[in-house]
Amino acid sequence: MMEQQVWTFSDYIMLVVSGVLVNNILLIRFLGNCPFLGVSKKMDTAVGMTFGVIFVLTCTGPITWFVEHYLLEKFDIVYLETLAFILTIAVFVQLVEMAIKKISPGLYRGLGIYLPLITTNCCILGTCFYNIRFKFGFIPTIVFSFASALGFGLALIIMAGIRERFHYARIPKCFQDTSIGLITAGLIGLSFFAFAGLAK
Amino acid sequence: MEVLKATIYPVLVMGGLAVIYALGLGIAARIFYVYVDPRIAEVEEFLGGANCGGCGYAGCSDCAAAIVEGKAPVNACVAVGADKWEAIAKILGVSVEAGEKQVAMIMCRGSKDKAKRKFQYMGIEDCRAALLAGGGDKECQYGCLGLGTCVKNCPFGALSMGEDGLPKVDKDKCTGCGTCTRVCPRGIPKLVPVSLKIAVICSSHDTPPVVKKICEVGCQGCGICKKVCPEKAITIENSLAVVDPSKCTLCGKCFEKCPTGAIQQILPA
Amino acid sequence: MEGRLVKEFTKGLWEEIPPFRFVLGLCPTLACTTAVRDGIGMGLCLTFVLVCSNMLISLLRKVIPSQVRIPCFIVVVATFVIIVELVTQAYFYPLYMALGIFIPLIVVNCIPLGRAEAFASKNAVIYSLADGLGMGLGFTCSLTALAIFREIFGKGTLLYHHIMWSGFEPFAFLQKPPGAFVCLGLMLGIMNLIGSGEK
Repeated sequence: MMEQQVWTFSDYIMLVVSGVLVNNILLIRFLGNCPFLGVSKKMDTAVGMTFGVIFVLTCTGPITWFVEHYLLEKFDIVYLETLAFILTIAVFVQLVEMAIKKISPGLYRGLGIYLPLITTNCCILGTCFYNIRFKFGFIPTIVFSFASALGFGLALIIMAGIRERFHYARIPKCFQDTSIGLITAGLIGLSFFAFAGLAK
Repeated sequence: MEVLKATIYPVLVMGGLAVIYALGLGIAARIFYVYVDPRIAEVEEFLGGANCGGCGYAGCSDCAAAIVEGKAPVNACVAVGADKWEAIAKILGVSVEAGEKQVAMIMCRGSKDKAKRKFQYMGIEDCRAALLAGGGDKECQYGCLGLGTCVKNCPFGALSMGEDGLPKVDKDKCTGCGTCTRVCPRGIPKLVPVSLKIAVICSSHDTPPVVKKICEVGCQGCGICKKVCPEKAITIENSLAVVDPSKCTLCGKCFEKCPTGAIQQILPA
Repeated sequence: MEGRLVKEFTKGLWEEIPPFRFVLGLCPTLACTTAVRDGIGMGLCLTFVLVCSNMLISLLRKVIPSQVRIPCFIVVVATFVIIVELVTQAYFYPLYMALGIFIPLIVVNCIPLGRAEAFASKNAVIYSLADGLGMGLGFTCSLTALAIFREIFGKGTLLYHHIMWSGFEPFAFLQKPPGAFVCLGLMLGIMNLIGSGEK
């Protein structure tokens, strides 16, 4: 499915299902764990981070696709992919942060503070790499980037909802904070396993 | 030739990319330049930094911006002392009067051995949740449930749960932000001036026969303290004694005569 | 000076060991520990990147202007990551295929960037070297410990040699992603228990 040339609408639907549920970028593909444990303690920070990631990833996926196909391949320096991608992402996020700060201070307060955090988020760079590894065309790149970000957000929000309740539960001292967060993430991931086989 | 291409191309392409990005960011920085009053950052240095919300704003940055804009008074931050207020006032070029520092006081002495319980509660360790379970496990409908909601929510770590099931306030760490007062479902922590010398440490409005049955140390509202006070500083409101500190001379007659010891002298820690 | 050097080196091996004490670098910890060979390989790759980038950034710390320091650090780390990527692709191909995209993802791993920001940009080269080596080796040990557990009980092998008895039913849950999370969480909890017991 990943390497075909002609995409029908149902293929796109399957791609979204695959990205969000079956191969959830966070729980199954392990990308984006560091902010996951830090930001998922409260619901409002989780929602802010989700919107930030959706916006940044849906834009940088296609941009890095352009950089790869029209710049790096033309000059046969594909091995510099890592450097070119991370530079592009860092510059893009910096640009967006400046723009949001000027255009909408309210939005900046809500989501702007997560933007520097998103630059070093493995799920952004990882999804850009997957776009290349799976040999997607331009439109599938956009759809896959959006689906990955949606999956990240879904896992994050579920986690935040559960973790807010931990504040009042009787957890043994040595398991508090990160440890119980990881175990919970594993159990949520286990439930996502139910979707395996739904799409490739 | 191949070697030349292999070395020159990467340098040119990455260098060119870097130059384009740098120019782009430089131009964007000009276009999107936002004037931020530098005084806001300076004022924020002197605020509590805990984002406790005691000032009524959504965090220390918000409060600093409001102070500089003139929307909030210089002494808006309740979590810092008068010396910080003076520093903030100096930045803005205004003056400020100092008020007295307030601290929290837990208005309940009904510990596990002194106050009766209706049933054994085994649920979420939160007083708000316990209240939903049949009105809490204490017989007294006004008393402290001792599950530590205030302790968990104190932004400055000034509260700790004692062995007897009542929270203890560290007066040095307490800043009077009022978070504990807001989160307690029964409003038991109260903000009092730090120099307060006498208080009725009970929140119960139950009548004397009821209090006698359910709590050994609660204020019954019997009125003995009111009768013996030579300055007429004590009144009984809804079966709870209230002291007017401005009239009180600390003669000590009410402490002696109180049958349960609910009215107490507050000694410096 | 020797005392400080030793201290910077050993702190990365227990008190500030990533990813247990310093919760950094979780993504490779979870993804690359299905087999011990992968765990050791990933740890050594990261150690190489960390040591080299720490030393270079420490050498350049007086030269880099403060406003652009993050992009500069990223470029330095990315360069060494590309070197590691090409070397593993050429000489350790099975390891390269097993680790997949997690080798280039070392560039956004919080450990090299975090240590560059917190330590290398403020300290001399020799201490940055010790810090990088200590943290890198600590990370490798953590990965190896997790990988040993996951491989022995999840597959029944160690370094791809069968070591469990023939009737052993492997606990396949440990090899899958949720198993990684749960295993790491439990190990972290046990480490906290030991750590607090020591005090």
